[in-house]
Amino acid sequence: MSADQFVQYLASGLTQGSIYALVGLGFTIIYAVTRIINFAQGEFVMLGGMLSFMLISSAGVPLVPAVILSVLIAAGIGVLMYVLAIRSARRASVISLIIITIGAAIFIRGIAGGIWGADPVRPPFFSGSESIPFLGAYIHPQALWVIGTMVVVTIALHLFLSYTMVGKALKACAVNPTAAGLVGIDARAMALIAFALAAALGAIGGVVVAPLTLTAYNVGVMLGLKGFVASSIGGFRSPIATVIGGVTLGIVESLAVGLNWGPFTSAYKDAIALVVLLLILLVRSGRLALEERAS
Amino acid sequence: MSQPILETKSVSKVFGGLVAVDKVDLKIEAGKITAIIGPNGAGKTTLFNLITGVYPASDGEIFFQGKPLKNIPAHKRVALGIARTFQNVLLFGNMTVLENIMTGQHPRSHYGFLGAALRLPRAHREEETIYLNAMKYLNMVGLGAYAEQNALSLPLGQQKLLAIARAMATEPQLLLLDEPGAGLNLLEKRELSDLIHRIREMGTTVVLVEHDMPLVMGIAEWVIVLDSGQKIAEGTAAQVQKDERVISAYLGEEVE
Amino acid sequence: MLARIKSKWTYLVSAALLVFLILIPFDWFLGHYTTLMIFIGISTMVTVGLCLLMGYTGQVSLGQAAFYGIGAYFSAVLSKTYGVNPWLAMLIAAAATGAFAYVIGYPIFRLRGNYLAMATLGLGLIIWILFRQLSQFTGGPDGMAGIPFLSVGGFVFDTSFKRYFLVWFFCLAILFISQNIVRSRTGRALRAIHGSEAAAESVGIDVTRFKVKIFVLSAVYASLAGSLLVHHLRFVSPQPFDFLASIKFVVMAVIGGLASIWGAIFGAGATRILSDELMFRFGEWDVVIYGLILMLVMIFMPEGLFVRLRQLLERWRLRHTWREAEP
Repeated sequence: MSADQFVQYLASGLTQGSIYALVGLGFTIIYAVTRIINFAQGEFVMLGGMLSFMLISSAGVPLVPAVILSVLIAAGIGVLMYVLAIRSARRASVISLIIITIGAAIFIRGIAGGIWGADPVRPPFFSGSESIPFLGAYIHPQALWVIGTMVVVTIALHLFLSYTMVGKALKACAVNPTAAGLVGIDARAMALIAFALAAALGAIGGVVVAPLTLTAYNVGVMLGLKGFVASSIGGFRSPIATVIGGVTLGIVESLAVGLNWGPFTSAYKDAIALVVLLLILLVRSGRLALEERAS
Repeated sequence: MSQPILETKSVSKVFGGLVAVDKVDLKIEAGKITAIIGPNGAGKTTLFNLITGVYPASDGEIFFQGKPLKNIPAHKRVALGIARTFQNVLLFGNMTVLENIMTGQHPRSHYGFLGAALRLPRAHREEETIYLNAMKYLNMVGLGAYAEQNALSLPLGQQKLLAIARAMATEPQLLLLDEPGAGLNLLEKRELSDLIHRIREMGTTVVLVEHDMPLVMGIAEWVIVLDSGQKIAEGTAAQVQKDERVISAYLGEEVE
Repeated sequence: MLARIKSKWTYLVSAALLVFLILIPFDWFLGHYTTLMIFIGISTMVTVGLCLLMGYTGQVSLGQAAFYGIGAYFSAVLSKTYGVNPWLAMLIAAAATGAFAYVIGYPIFRLRGNYLAMATLGLGLIIWILFRQLSQFTGGPDGMAGIPFLSVGGFVFDTSFKRYFLVWFFCLAILFISQNIVRSRTGRALRAIHGSEAAAESVGIDVTRFKVKIFVLSAVYASLAGSLLVHHLRFVSPQPFDFLASIKFVVMAVIGGLASIWGAIFGAGATRILSDELMFRFGEWDVVIYGLILMLVMIFMPEGLFVRLRQLLERWRLRHTWREAEP
């Protein structure tokens, strides 16, 4: 592989990885605050893309309002999901919650498929389609939007969590739910915010990447899984590790395809994330077993 | 004493930076009722967990009937003859009272998937034995009338009795009771004392962790005192009550 | 007294259902439902395994379709490509699937809850990808055809009528075996693990070993189901073994009542019939209803629809019996 090609694959990996990072952040936030794994996380990415397509291409809404609206609607759906599905399931076991979020994911995906059909769609690019030459590779402006959005969102999230009251309350819940409750933080309100935030993050990712990679009603599953892998790298608690994990995963996938290592044809690309997932879980399982025993 | 039924030699447990159990030497005499007391956080439950194998010791050794327990997993220690109850009871909430006790017979029965799946005669025979033994232990704790009820439908006092019956069903030589008196009223505590005496008569050595001083002083033939993971005193109940180190360890603590 | 009434009632109902089951494939009765019932029987076999694993032992598997597929592909490839006797192929498939479950079982069951779910999900997806990619063996995404029928001596299972009885023989055998396991010392051990792992360990139960064993058993059930599937369709492709298939089995188990063996038939049947109906009326919207059902059942009836109905029936019968006893 030449240096130019390497940079090209690196760039595309970085782009894809940015999406994984955004999805992963959603998992991390919800898990940290509520200890729930939201299997529907990937669907919010899909919703972001599909909604923006519908608003921009079918309804002629201009870009900025369409983006904002898509993210808000997705966040609203996230809130609805929490209120209707999760909150109603009082004292549900872990298995029940897992199945409920899977049910929600299937439900959302099904409705998307019903409304928008199975064909992939592409919303228009944000700012033109001329690839920009960079270090011997050609980077599409939309890819820069993706990467840039990821960076901005990550910084904004960090500031939000560290310097605003709500953000700090969320962090408190993540660190010690009992203590947080004792100082007057309402766990259910925090959970609601977590879901809305995670949905918004997913949707932002979806909105910004859809013009580049197309989107369809069924992209949620794999994206969700990869975002999950990113989040698991951070132990489901650390946003920074999640972002690093997501970006790394994207780059590794891209390079594996580019280098064509042995049996790793592009068809096996998805398997990489899965194998990484299983390795992480394996490592984690050892530590988890020890943690459990000590309690 | 002749060979102690349980012996720990300089056993320690460290969690991260916290030393929960600090070089504790114990000799538990068979057939006696021994109590382990100490302020909260003294490491009593951790010690139980080390003996039953919930996690491995960081240092030191534990011997049961002269046999080292290192590397023997928790479930195998039960077959050897060590049983326990938990501070927070931990009944099987998805089973009836009787089924809980029948499950306790697990280490004393043997048929497996194949015998169960094909309803082999050995399985039938063992089930009979399991049922009869379970009824015996059920009646031993006086819960015979509640056999078919869900285990969690019992009030706390009776749940604790059920937990003891379940542990006894494993036919142990050594029974470790973790705060069996917690949450019990005066009458229930008296019944508990009687039960512990009856268990001792059946040949089982009892070690209990307790906070209730009158209960401990009433039934314990030997008392070991822990504080901050270390053994600070041992002796008869009377001796320990007067020990200066024990008194100062409890200063500031509520002594009933 | 109530127990004796119950068992007489149970016998009558069971006998009636058995007769009903035997008569279904006859043309003069409900013959046109034969193929549907074959699929329900096959699905039930997989579902029972899930009930044992999830309902009784309290674990999770979101990748059960992988075992279903491994059984299917082993049977297909061995009997078609290598000319192995189909029964032997089925046995080898079951052994291979069981061995695979055993090997991945120990590391996987150190995980719990969400992590376990994700691990089984990931594993299921990896296997599915392998089905698609190893085309020299599996025929790739388009699958392979020409899989031989099962036969005993000269008797070939070449019609749906004959295969109906074959499938339901296996299905009922598995249900009986599972019922026996549940009511035994093994069943108590599994339920103990679900109730409290720490307490189960404290009564001498080797928790991880039991989890792995029941996982292997559920894998073997699914493998047998997969083998029967390909000898019925004479065709195999990766499509019935994807993530959605794994979820459908979970739906079946949930509706049937996670902790109910016979509920598995109800769950598989209801789901299959519902899915056919929905496909017919609403096309791809059936997925929406799946999702809805999953959510609603888990929120309001976590013990499962079938078990809930049975509880209501029990209560109605109790009231009815009591009234009879009054002067």
